[in-house]
Amino acid sequence: MWSTAREIAAGDLVIVWLTRDAVQPLVITPGKELNGKYGVYRHSDLIGVPYGSKIGSRNGRGFIHVLRPTPELWTLALPHRTQILYIADIAFVSSWLNIKPGSRIIEAGTGSGSFTHSVARAIGPAGHLWSYEFHEARVNKAREEFSCHGMDDIVTLTHRNVCKDGFTVLDTVDAVFLDLPMPWEAVEHAKKALRKDRTTRICCFSPCMEQVLRTVTALNDAGFTDITMYETLLRPHQVDSVPALPHIGQVSEKLKKAEQKREEKRLRQIANSRASAAGKRKRPGDADESDGGRAEGSAGKRPKTDDEDDVLQHEDGQLPQAENHPSGRSAGAAETEEAKFPQSVTESATPTKTTFSKTFPEVRGHTSYLTFACLLPAIPSAQADPATQEPVPSD
Amino acid sequence: MDMEEGPSKTPQNTRHETIQVGNTLLLKLPSGDIKTWKLEKDSTANLGKFGSFYANELVGQPFGLTYEIVDKKLKAVSPRTLQEVEDTEATNELINDGQFVQPLTSEEIEMLKKSGLHASEIIKKQIEQHANYSLKTEYSKEKYKKRKEAKYSKSFTVVDPTVFNVCDYWFNKDQNRLRDIRPDALGQILNLANIRPGGRYLAVDDASGIVVAGMLERLGGTGRLITVCDVDSPPAYPALVHMNFTKEVTQVLSSLNWATADEDYIPITPPSEPAGKIKSDAQKSRLNKRKAVSETLNQTREELFAGEFDGLVVASEYDPFSILQNLSPYLAGSANIVVHSPYIQIVTDLQNQLRNLPQYLGAAVTEMWLRRYQVLPGRTHPFMNMSGSGGFIMHTIKVYDPS
Ligand SMILES: C[S@@+](CC[C@H](N)C(=O)[O-])C[C@H]1O[C@@H](n2cnc3c(N)ncnc32)[C@H](O)[C@@H]1O
Repeated sequence: MWSTAREIAAGDLVIVWLTRDAVQPLVITPGKELNGKYGVYRHSDLIGVPYGSKIGSRNGRGFIHVLRPTPELWTLALPHRTQILYIADIAFVSSWLNIKPGSRIIEAGTGSGSFTHSVARAIGPAGHLWSYEFHEARVNKAREEFSCHGMDDIVTLTHRNVCKDGFTVLDTVDAVFLDLPMPWEAVEHAKKALRKDRTTRICCFSPCMEQVLRTVTALNDAGFTDITMYETLLRPHQVDSVPALPHIGQVSEKLKKAEQKREEKRLRQIANSRASAAGKRKRPGDADESDGGRAEGSAGKRPKTDDEDDVLQHEDGQLPQAENHPSGRSAGAAETEEAKFPQSVTESATPTKTTFSKTFPEVRGHTSYLTFACLLPAIPSAQADPATQEPVPSD
Repeated sequence: MDMEEGPSKTPQNTRHETIQVGNTLLLKLPSGDIKTWKLEKDSTANLGKFGSFYANELVGQPFGLTYEIVDKKLKAVSPRTLQEVEDTEATNELINDGQFVQPLTSEEIEMLKKSGLHASEIIKKQIEQHANYSLKTEYSKEKYKKRKEAKYSKSFTVVDPTVFNVCDYWFNKDQNRLRDIRPDALGQILNLANIRPGGRYLAVDDASGIVVAGMLERLGGTGRLITVCDVDSPPAYPALVHMNFTKEVTQVLSSLNWATADEDYIPITPPSEPAGKIKSDAQKSRLNKRKAVSETLNQTREELFAGEFDGLVVASEYDPFSILQNLSPYLAGSANIVVHSPYIQIVTDLQNQLRNLPQYLGAAVTEMWLRRYQVLPGRTHPFMNMSGSGGFIMHTIKVYDPS
């Protein structure tokens, strides 16, 4: 497939990684330039550079990473001509279908070739993939692409309607993958293409349950067994590193200080107004109003409660009234608070960071249903009935 | 490094195409249990109440078939297709559970069995005598039949030992020993790590060897796999035994441990040169063996330290960051690194440590989710129970730090 050399050469396909969401393919063509908001890069400057290098822009304004293509990166970078399969489904299907070096596989339709590249990688030069597509423009595009990617020996691409005309091989393949709107129409054809001397497998990839049911019926009628169906998803997690969550002792201390300050201010104001009343004979009640209209705000030190601490951050005018404090206000409350939050906790100044993760707010909820089945090897006739040792027609 | 990928070294199938003497097989019993059994020549396999049979009967057979045991011989049976069940008028409403009794006593059943009656005959007899059977829905009838068949039929299925099936077997048996690597997780790991025939990889597998099994299968006898383990003898990768790999497939694997994988350490190997004159043939062969072992060790070390590996897979009980610090210097630029853990905190902490290091690109954490469906005519729905976790994966790409 792609270059396995250590360094990039002219004509290589490289994957340019700008960000996770901006991954693009680039065929190294001397004389050309890569131009974008991440800077300007001459293709010729990339030749001889090891894969996996970080390259600074010519105008010094940005940088890119040049990576060796993999089917997974190709899936992120490829030009979409159709809906495509992504890694979650590709990996699961490949695994269930037992796609491995030397496997012979059928796929239809080729679409944008996302699945094709992954299969070609897994089966290697000893395997073979027959890929079918009935949309002519897509066939031509895919043919060009596969050729560019050095897959000519591994993939045979055929332009045909597989539901109408079937496949081009007989009793040959180990597995069939159908990503078609009406896979049930290709099930009988698939059976013909599968080899009969080993356990072989099929997967039909359909987004709708109605398609699944029709496919299951067709598979059952054709003699496939172990019919089963899966859904698989990958949930990406967002990782955040944040300071350790602060102890409530810290906020408690802050609130107590604020309260104390306000109380001092109030007392100061009372003292002031008394002083001026002594001089000017002012109307009574002004002092209370300056404290936010607190009804019971009688002179003297006012004890506090936990409840009050909670709401102190409200505007002064919204402070709760007396009925919010059912229990008596004992002067001992303040001491209790101190005991609960010892100084050492409240003043732990340097917070260490902790790693948290959560699922991304929006994730894929459904791709397709993956319907699988096996076609078991034909039972060797000599073995069919050892008890009688003579061939008995089976019912 | 220029790895040629031409078809010069054509990978054969990773195991023999048919069942061979010496294979370790997974036999699925009518009860749904899976029994692991080693096929020894001329032996008799004993499946308990499901019967016993001559082992040689299986040699040369394809994998995946179901057999009925008749007089210790095997008769391949055609696979059961989905039973088309038509709904009858009858519903469960008309039947009290108490009335749904077994009309044949267990003694009667034993007698029938001894008389050599086929399991399906016994079931038929039971059904005939079942007073309420015709009142049951087709659904419960099928359930009833299934239950009875599971109990009486003398049959088993040879599980096709694909990586998926072997992983599934181990996961269901003891997912802790697989460190939660469910078949879907293994598939993701192998794809994300870009395992391909001819590639050269490093792995740390404390998950019973399921990762090694998957990687060896995808290498198909070409390329290279070096694993690092925590014991001073060759690591036991017990999951490998069920893969029944050919020698060509396993020969690409070599193992070091965390001491011998340390570049600054000089392994202490017992002397392979005789102190004086060689006294016996036994001594000579012992010394030769030692020499071979220490030569292999040195070669593997040199190979590791020469680096330029294409990928690293970690499924370990040890701190993954320390593993990466040790092994990522031996990775080529653009190599894929995949770390699996049953715990999300392990991989998120790792991701957090890596994201500010210039030699790692695009570190990301994903969680696997898998739901299986029952597919039966008119009764297609997700299974009521599902596996809660297949673990978490951190993937990143090694890049060159220009500084
Ligand atoms: C969703 S796309 C396949 C995407 C592909 N699996 C991938 O990963 O890129 C389905 C393709 O099947 C093709 N197709 C639909 N019906 C077909 C048929 N009967 N024979 C051949 N190709 C068909 C469509 O033209 C389309 O390109």
